[in-house]
Amino acid sequence: MSDVTTDGLTTLAPERGSNFGRELRRAGRSMVAAKWPVLALLILLVVAIVAIFGPMLAPLDPNRQNIMLRLAEPLGEGPRGATFWLGSDALGRDVLSRLLYGARISLLVGICAIAVGGTIGVVAGLVSGYFGGWVDDVIMRLGDIQLAFPFILLAIMFLVVLGPGVMNLILVLGIGQWVTYARIVRGQTLSLREKEFVEAARALGDSTTSIIFRTILPNIVAPLTVIASFNVASVILAEAALSFLGLGVPPSVPTWGSMLAESREQLIANKWWLAIFPGLAIVLTVLSFNIIGDWLRDFLDPRLKERR
Amino acid sequence: MTRLRHLAVTSASGLLLATTAAFAQPAENTIVVGLSADITTFEPANISSRDNANIARHIFGTLYTISGDGEVSPDLAENLEISEDGLNYVYTLREGLTCHDGEALTAEDAAFSFNRAKDPANAFTGNTPGFVFSSIGFQSAEALDDRRVQITLGAKNPIAFGLLTEVYIHCKDSYEAMSLDQAAATPIGSGPYKLASWAKGSEVVLEKVGEPAKMEKIIWRIIPEASTRSAELIAGNVDIITNVAPDQIDAVNASGNAKVQAVQGTRRMYVGFNLSEEFAAMPGGDAIQNPDVRRALQYAVDVPTICKQLLNFECVRATGLVNPQNANQSLTPYPYDPDMAEKMLDEAGWPRAADGTRFTIRFQAGRGRYLNDQNVVLAIAQYLEDVGLKVEVDLMEWASVYVPLIRERNVGPLFFLGSGGALWSPLYDMTDLARVESGTNYTHWDDERWFSRWADIAAATTPEETRVIVDEMLQVFYDDGPWLHMYFQPDFYGVSERVDFVARPDEKVYLFETGLK
Repeated sequence: MSDVTTDGLTTLAPERGSNFGRELRRAGRSMVAAKWPVLALLILLVVAIVAIFGPMLAPLDPNRQNIMLRLAEPLGEGPRGATFWLGSDALGRDVLSRLLYGARISLLVGICAIAVGGTIGVVAGLVSGYFGGWVDDVIMRLGDIQLAFPFILLAIMFLVVLGPGVMNLILVLGIGQWVTYARIVRGQTLSLREKEFVEAARALGDSTTSIIFRTILPNIVAPLTVIASFNVASVILAEAALSFLGLGVPPSVPTWGSMLAESREQLIANKWWLAIFPGLAIVLTVLSFNIIGDWLRDFLDPRLKERR
Repeated sequence: MTRLRHLAVTSASGLLLATTAAFAQPAENTIVVGLSADITTFEPANISSRDNANIARHIFGTLYTISGDGEVSPDLAENLEISEDGLNYVYTLREGLTCHDGEALTAEDAAFSFNRAKDPANAFTGNTPGFVFSSIGFQSAEALDDRRVQITLGAKNPIAFGLLTEVYIHCKDSYEAMSLDQAAATPIGSGPYKLASWAKGSEVVLEKVGEPAKMEKIIWRIIPEASTRSAELIAGNVDIITNVAPDQIDAVNASGNAKVQAVQGTRRMYVGFNLSEEFAAMPGGDAIQNPDVRRALQYAVDVPTICKQLLNFECVRATGLVNPQNANQSLTPYPYDPDMAEKMLDEAGWPRAADGTRFTIRFQAGRGRYLNDQNVVLAIAQYLEDVGLKVEVDLMEWASVYVPLIRERNVGPLFFLGSGGALWSPLYDMTDLARVESGTNYTHWDDERWFSRWADIAAATTPEETRVIVDEMLQVFYDDGPWLHMYFQPDFYGVSERVDFVARPDEKVYLFETGLK
């Protein structure tokens, strides 16, 4: 396997590895050596487990109100002998249960939005870079136009029109990300389309679609992975921000952002647990994605490989 | 580490910026008020919300004015004569009145203020045409001479005098010279303050130009978040705030800088059932057409508990749309009885399906305008879900999203709203539903047993006779009305120790007589 470097990002040569296990071990060693990525990975694993099994782990219905038991402190008495481990909110809902359900929304929105934005961006970038000419101009100018608008403003505008909802949120956040992917992929494609192995594929009579998606695309996966890991973090933050503004998901769906928004009213009354726990959840998750992204970037950079 | 250092530096810079950008303590001759909802217009005939009207009233004079406890006093007019048939009101204006641009304010201007609001070409929907005119059947206004203006009504109305105090007076020449957009943004008023500046969504600054006015400048700051309003009050950056969140009362009182004034308000809070044909076609819209369903839902909501837990006060549930002093005293509030609600819903033909749901219904509301409104709405939704409804709560931004829908009578099928009330007459509170097409009949309710009785009230010759009809109408409203009765909203004002403001029960924040202690 050989590495090809373009603009500081790594691409994989067409030979696919039978040495996958060796690379995995190298990744493991690199991660352990860097220490922080291990912790970040553990945190993300916990978040993922919580997101998948949240409904089974939640001690109470996250939307069940008990206004007679509102604003109970952590470890306070809950309904029917239950305990509010992380306290209750202004409507007497269990903060822990809402936090567990919130993980699901945050991860779902984060990953799906990246899938949507990534898919659009990768296809646009491949087409733009491979064909060039007016196709390239149109796609890239569309991206420029979108970048001329502040993303959060664009998201607010779309959500006001489309209305709140998980699907709409994924769509809006996904569409907001495509330009990043398109630009990276276009740059890589421009470089790769002139390489010998692409010429070879062309000479062998491969179709354009096959060249784009089977010859060029696999060589862009590494930088895409790095971008996506950073991007998940920013999308989770954007989801939290939009939910904080009341534009995310309906009030019946608990999210970390909306929990933070609801805590605002209580901060002055010293109900600290309403802000601290969802805030911590967001910070730890976003930080973990960023640390993993940092590590991935270094790990996949051949210039740093010798130092590892 | 580089990333962490960058984060720390950025955070510290942000904090520093926030600190330096903080508002300074108000000047000696300035009073600063923090409002919860943004205002939308200064067009005198389009103003409808209380916060908007509170500011506008300082800019525009009215013919007469009514105090918080119902006392009447002259404002721009000094005398009133009512014809024997009760159809003509002749006001005599004070001498020497002018508008803010220097134009003399005469009877012709007063007549213009009324007729302009009625002009269909302007399509105004504010309090004057939507509530006052539709209630009194306003016909026309004409100047009899320089100082006397005659207002002609379509039918005799025992509370017309009180309603006419709500019409803002302005000058003909200045308003004829302006487009509607200009009139909405740059009012030329007749009151003791003029508009100095207006930054939408941020603040409105008024400057003194006449009497009565103790302070040289009034600044109205829009601070939608309750905790920010409280923090600003505690920090001494604002003098008065409206809608102190119930959970923050202790923090304000303990600050040493301010105290909370609690007043039993007159605003009627309710969940409206939109009964229009358009909404009947929506999920749940068909169910609430049936008065039995509406009555069943009255039993489903525990209003006293909502008051105590979410609003921090003890309340008696409303029996209708009239404030308790003037209500039908034979009516008792619907008790909280979810079993009764379930039984009545079964009997009305809406049994629980296999998944436990009777019907799905959308519940719309604005955020931040009323006391703890978001939590109240969510609590109501929970109570309704407990008896088998699937409630889709739709919480919207107040000023730019919810208010336009309300103005178009286009919210629902369930919606949460408060309507300003008064203590001086039951008819004032009932006037929301003066006619089926009234701008304030947001429910499109059209029960003849209610609407046909307004003619009887107009024909009644004694207060006792009127009272009998009022009680009969309120019984119909209690049984089959379009409101899920909630409570009369308490008002919590945060008041700095610096000023001598005294809160009124009718939510009117008039600062003509407010000064420093």
